[in-house]
Amino acid sequence: MTITATLEVFRCAPGGVDGRFESYDVTVHDNATVLDAIEAVWANHDRSLVFRHACHHASCGSCGVLVNGSEVLPCIVDLADALRQRSPVRVEPLRNLPLAGDLVVDVTGFFERMLASTMSITRTAEDALPLDADDDGGRSQAVSVPDGLARFNRFENCVECGICISACPTMATDERFRGPAMLAALGRARAESADPQQREHLLDLADGEHGVWRCHSSWECTQRCPQQVDPAESIMEQRREILRRRFRRRVR
Amino acid sequence: MAVSTPSGPSRVRSAGRWFDVRHRGPGTWAYALNRITGLALVGYLYIHLAVLSLLARGPGSYDRFVDLVRSPLFLALDLVLIAGWLIHALNGLRLTVVGLGFGVRAQRTMLVVATGAGLLALVVSAVLLFGD
Amino acid sequence: MIDVETAHAESMYTRRERPTTAWVWQAATGVLLLILLTVHMIAQHFIVEGGLRTHAEVVDYLRSPVIFVVEHLFLGTVTLHAMLGIRAVLFDFGLAPATERRITSWLTAIGVLTVAYGVWLLWAVAF
Repeated sequence: MTITATLEVFRCAPGGVDGRFESYDVTVHDNATVLDAIEAVWANHDRSLVFRHACHHASCGSCGVLVNGSEVLPCIVDLADALRQRSPVRVEPLRNLPLAGDLVVDVTGFFERMLASTMSITRTAEDALPLDADDDGGRSQAVSVPDGLARFNRFENCVECGICISACPTMATDERFRGPAMLAALGRARAESADPQQREHLLDLADGEHGVWRCHSSWECTQRCPQQVDPAESIMEQRREILRRRFRRRVR
Repeated sequence: MAVSTPSGPSRVRSAGRWFDVRHRGPGTWAYALNRITGLALVGYLYIHLAVLSLLARGPGSYDRFVDLVRSPLFLALDLVLIAGWLIHALNGLRLTVVGLGFGVRAQRTMLVVATGAGLLALVVSAVLLFGD
Repeated sequence: MIDVETAHAESMYTRRERPTTAWVWQAATGVLLLILLTVHMIAQHFIVEGGLRTHAEVVDYLRSPVIFVVEHLFLGTVTLHAMLGIRAVLFDFGLAPATERRITSWLTAIGVLTVAYGVWLLWAVAF
């Protein structure tokens, strides 16, 4: 069994130049996802379509887009459901990030934030990766890996898809805002750390005009997150911690 | 490769996104309404202060002004003002409680309760305004 | 793929910002306003028989010492809340720190002028 759908796909050159919607008819298996449909556009209509994808099961976080106006990972959205919502199905790149071309956004700023949060949670499996050049018997000597790269591993549920960045209204105008993903990562890293100094440092990074206090409680990050990370709750918890610390310092 | 941030739409144009409630949840409605009512209430504060300068000019001009604003049109505008206060105050209370890290998981419930309480208070205000 | 050198470079997110109390003041003045506005409205429209409808009634009302103090408090609180609100909206534009400092100075000046005008008005009407 197959279904036929029309997709309205946002197309543009780098920087969002020449942005427009183009329609494509695709015929795919009736249990296809929206990502399958996007791949069908690429395979059957236009090999120049730029889009990101890898795992097809919501764990790599690379395919995030807007489907019918809402941020989703299209690899876990049934095309049939999307069609019931709106036909033709509209596919757009995430918002609040620079457009790199078609459905792909530049995530440099996003990862700068994630790195600043230190992301100290390391999964066992990732520990085994040859993170130091020495570990692999010198085979990759040309690659110099800086100290602390192990911290680069992802923290718990967050798949770093950028959906919360796209959903957050403050992110639309404030590039200095640390944003939901980084603030959630800061909260998670602090919970994980046993080092009091590091915990203080992480709380310091969350404080400030463009830290937790720039959040205006629209709750969109938490509502859109495909992995139940709940950045909004983490932001509120860190506010309380900051206030508690400030109060303790006053009292002493 | 480091990509420099391309010049997107201007920041002011992007601010339209603050009020774009399409495909968004109730939290965005609350946020957008809070911002609109907040800005409008600042405007009202200055109109109010300016109008009250009539008081300093003596009884004549102020009493004529009061006669004007007791017309049904101005009473209706009063109701709009009260609605603005209620939205801003009740949502603000929710933001304060949640923003201090209390009842974070109940924020949606609070939104529903605040909406109900606000509507009730608005009806009571309307009765009091137009009642006599 | 992330370029490791770019990623490890100092970014504006690795530096701590100055701690801020603006949100706390906004919330505190907000809660206070809830009380003061209720008093302001109820006193003027319900406690005073038929509400304040003439110049003479307003003067009488303001000469009550409690009301005179409450109205000053209301003026200061509402102005601080309004200025903090405008500041919060402007800060959402992600402006340069120097611009933000200028905004804070300007709003402080506007707030002081507003309160000064209000205080003058209260005293001019009451006495």
